[in-house]
Amino acid sequence: MKLMTVNHIKIALKSIRQSRWRSLMTMLGVIIGISSVVTIVSLGEGVKHQIVGQINNLGNNLITVRPGNINTNTTSGALGVFNIFAGLNDSSLLTIHDAQIIQQTPGVRLAVPLSVITGPIQTNQQVYDTIPVIGSTPDIPTVLNQSLQYGVFYSSSNNITNGAVLGQNVANELFPSTSALGHSFTFHGESFVVLGVLNQFDIAPLSIEADFNNVIFIPYSVAQQIDPNGNSLYEILVKPAHLSSTKSVVNKIQNNLLVAHHGEQDFSVFTQADELTAANKILNLLTDLIGAIAAISLLVGGIGIMNVMLVAVTERTQEIGIRKALGATNRQIVNQFLTEAIVISTYGGLLGIIVSVLINVTLRILTDLQPALSWQVMLLATGVSIIVGVVFGITPAIKAARKDPIDSLRYQ
Amino acid sequence: MAIIELHDVSKLYGFGDATTLALDEINLSVLESEFIAIMGPSGSGKSTLMNIIGLLDRPTYGSYTLSNRSVAKLRPNQQARIRRDKIGFVFQSYNLLPKLTVIDNVALPLAYRGVSAVRRLKLASAMLERIGLAERQYFMPRQLSGGQTQSVAIARALINNPAIIIADEPTGNLDSDSSLLIMELLSEIHKMGTTILLVTHNAELTRYATRVLFMSDGAIVHEEQTNLGELAPIFRRNIYGITVKTEDDDLAGVSALMKAIPAIEVPSTKKPRKPSNHWNKKTNTGRRRS
Repeated sequence: MKLMTVNHIKIALKSIRQSRWRSLMTMLGVIIGISSVVTIVSLGEGVKHQIVGQINNLGNNLITVRPGNINTNTTSGALGVFNIFAGLNDSSLLTIHDAQIIQQTPGVRLAVPLSVITGPIQTNQQVYDTIPVIGSTPDIPTVLNQSLQYGVFYSSSNNITNGAVLGQNVANELFPSTSALGHSFTFHGESFVVLGVLNQFDIAPLSIEADFNNVIFIPYSVAQQIDPNGNSLYEILVKPAHLSSTKSVVNKIQNNLLVAHHGEQDFSVFTQADELTAANKILNLLTDLIGAIAAISLLVGGIGIMNVMLVAVTERTQEIGIRKALGATNRQIVNQFLTEAIVISTYGGLLGIIVSVLINVTLRILTDLQPALSWQVMLLATGVSIIVGVVFGITPAIKAARKDPIDSLRYQ
Repeated sequence: MAIIELHDVSKLYGFGDATTLALDEINLSVLESEFIAIMGPSGSGKSTLMNIIGLLDRPTYGSYTLSNRSVAKLRPNQQARIRRDKIGFVFQSYNLLPKLTVIDNVALPLAYRGVSAVRRLKLASAMLERIGLAERQYFMPRQLSGGQTQSVAIARALINNPAIIIADEPTGNLDSDSSLLIMELLSEIHKMGTTILLVTHNAELTRYATRVLFMSDGAIVHEEQTNLGELAPIFRRNIYGITVKTEDDDLAGVSALMKAIPAIEVPSTKKPRKPSNHWNKKTNTGRRRS
């Protein structure tokens, strides 16, 4: 039996080579199905890795407090209403006063207020409109677990009040040809001197955290003076004293703020883990959707294989008759045609994997996404394509085996 | 010892009014290492008889014993195994698998027996050498002449050392030189003790047979022993003992002999241009049973 199978695989591969176009068309459904599944799974895995990387980068004990109610847990258990624009909602406010309350909460090491100010930034060469400026305290690098690539961070002891620190992308954008250090720009009528440039942040897609590579940090006190929104904050970043106490600190902040806001839950306290949960929910939804499309594609591909195999069985009726006359049992005939169907679908599956590898490489080159292709997914895809071959190849194979030898021999 | 025993074997096709009687209570006993030539017009049931003996078909009535074993209750897979191990088929249209090389074609029955690939090729190669086609083993069937192709088909039939070779008009598509080659090959196989059943339209080929059967309308109408190398006595006596009702019946018998004579076209529907030989005489001697 085993010996025959090797033989059948050889014959099947030969017939695929002999009719390339027909085989390719037959496999197309499987190729599309497998490549879309593999691509979306590796994309999802990649995004998860990036988020985990970001969390590790920012420190997994980082607590974020935002104005507005960002509820990640709905009662229905469906995808949470994760309002990423909550911080821009004017009706709920987070102020420096809240930051002080949090700072005084037991277990909190640092609470850093962040206020976002927009407006044109003017350098010697050009005016930039889309770069957000964040007013924050000198503690922000500690909270974000980030160091400077070069220069120094502004501090309260610096005599230069209008010092600014740039995210790496901003530094490259504003001062592409030279080092940003020591250059100046004008913002809301004030002149700022670049004191330092931060190292690159690992920022993951689907993250609700601001992309700190694209912002300018200025001292909070300066920001307060020039901010047209007054003293409302974009968010407060909190670093607990101990890693293990993150959860209890979150609860304490929640309770203290609730008291300060007179019982109104117009703010949200969440951790990096909550972010991962939210991103996972989005990814799972996407994976389910694409998975459904891929399943339909595999179904269509399988039907295509069945169709081609049925035609092949009819075309090769005489061959079946000859083989039976030479002593092939029904099972050996079933094996032959089933093997062919499996070879076609597996071949399609492998081509699908190759296609998804190409898509992955293209995505890595052209976008910020970093899909992670794992061997488990490839193995699973191969397994699925084999199953497609078995499921859709068995009917034609049985049909072939049931053919009457004499009628088959006479068939022209 | 009789290797094949048919007792009152009948074969019917179709249902009700449309029933056709393909075989009509055939009784036949074939001894080991006999060479039987079966002759008769088209539609006389020769091929049906071969299919039943070759276990490709089942009789509607009657019993068939192969090597003292009744085959009536065998399951399809058991029949397949007997075909594989005991019976070798040679067809008029060769029936090699066009996508396999010569050696793979010859080795195919071994594969169904579970012989390893290396041993398969070794045995097939030896067999091809035996029939004188050693240097053609990696050719494709389409690259061979008719005679060579049929030789390969015989090699394939022989590869499992069958007890019986069933050759259904093996020379039907061949010229006289190739026919000679094939018949010599079959004759050699016969000398080694293999039972051969040969269906033919060519009276000349009865020289190789030890017994000649004549069939008509699904029955064996005449049979006689012949000496090797001689024509069946019936031909020598210029008698062909079958009922000739229509011109077509007549032509069916004629066409075979005409084929054996080179340079004369085989007439399909018309009468032969030169009705010179005895085949055309309507010597209706009535229907006889053996």
